[in-house]
Amino acid sequence: MKTSPVRQENPPNETRLTDSHHPADCACRPPLQLDSLDGEAYDLGESQGRWRFVHFWASWCGPCRKEMPSIDRVTRLLDDNVIEFVLVNTAETEDSVFTFLGIVAPDLVPLLDSDGLATEAWQPRGLPATYLVDPDGLIQYQALGGREWEKPAYLEFLRSLEK
Amino acid sequence: MQRLRRLLLGGSLAVTASFALDKPYPGPFIENEDFLFVLMPRTPEQMAAFYEARGFPPAAIERIRSTCFITVHIENRSRRVIWMEPRTWKFSSKGRPLQRLDSSFWEAQWDAAGLPQANRSTFGWTQLPAERDLQPHESVGGNIVFPGTTASFDLDAVFQTGQDRRGRQLEVRFENVACPPGESAE
Repeated sequence: MKTSPVRQENPPNETRLTDSHHPADCACRPPLQLDSLDGEAYDLGESQGRWRFVHFWASWCGPCRKEMPSIDRVTRLLDDNVIEFVLVNTAETEDSVFTFLGIVAPDLVPLLDSDGLATEAWQPRGLPATYLVDPDGLIQYQALGGREWEKPAYLEFLRSLEK
Repeated sequence: MQRLRRLLLGGSLAVTASFALDKPYPGPFIENEDFLFVLMPRTPEQMAAFYEARGFPPAAIERIRSTCFITVHIENRSRRVIWMEPRTWKFSSKGRPLQRLDSSFWEAQWDAAGLPQANRSTFGWTQLPAERDLQPHESVGGNIVFPGTTASFDLDAVFQTGQDRRGRQLEVRFENVACPPGESAE
C-alpha cells in the first residue's frame, strides 16, 4: 500500500494526523451509503461542499469507547455547517449501538455498517479510524488510533479546515 | 524488574523476553527504546465470553473455545517506521515449527459454521493485521491463534525498520509462552 500524495500535518504537540494510506493509492474514497440508527438513508457522495469527519468504530474496541465522549464534545464545539460528523459503527447490532451510545453520547446518531463491508472497503488501519474528507470528496488526512479531539491543538486544526 | 537479555548480532539488536517478576503487563513483554511488544495469553473462557457477547453463534464459539488465543500489542516508540510482518515470524513448540491458525483457516471454519458476515467482520478486526508499517508512536493490536493442543510456544521475530526497510533490524525472542488451559482442563 503506497502513501497517497496528500497533505501531511506536522504534529502540534501530540496531534498526529498523517497522510492517507488508501487502497486506491489516491486520495479518492470508497462510497459510503448506509442507514443511520434512526433509519435515515445517508450517502457521503451527496454531502459534498464541506469537510466530513468520517469515523469508524465499534463498542467492543477499547480505544473507540475511550474516544467517543471526546467526539461527542467536539461536535458541540464546531460549526456543523462546515464540518459534518459521520460516525460509522462497524458490524454491530442496533441494540448494541443504541445501548452503548445511549450512555456515552446519546446525541450522536451513527450510521450502521451492519455487515462490516463498508468499513472493509475503506481499509482503515484499525479501529477506531478517522478520515477527514475535503469538500471535494477527497481524503486529506487520517488519524491513527484514538484522539482527544476537544484538545486545543485538534480544535484549532479542525477549525482551520473550515476556512 | 523485567529480565532481559540483550545480544548484539551482526548489526542487529536481539532481545529476549521472559516473564517479569513484577508485571506491568498481563503477559510476557519486551520494552525498550524501540518498542513495546506484549503477548497476552487468553483463556478459552475469556475468548468465548467476548465473542458470545458479540452475538457469535454456538458453533463458532465452540471452534473459538478449542483454540489458543494470544493478544498481541506492539507500540512503536522510535522515530522511524517499524515493519510488523507476522507472516515472517517463526513460532515453535517443543523444538518443532508451529503454524498459526491464519485467516484462511478461519474462513474455512466460518464457512462450515455458516457464520454471518457481520460476525466475520468483527472477528477479522480482532485479529492482528497481516502487515503494518508502524509509524513513529503508532501502536497495533490483535489476536494470533494456535491449535488448542499447543501447551506453550517460542517466538522469533525480526522487524525491518525505516521507510525503505534498510534500517537496523530488530530481533526479538519470546520463550515458553503458555497457552492457558480452559477450566475444564484444570
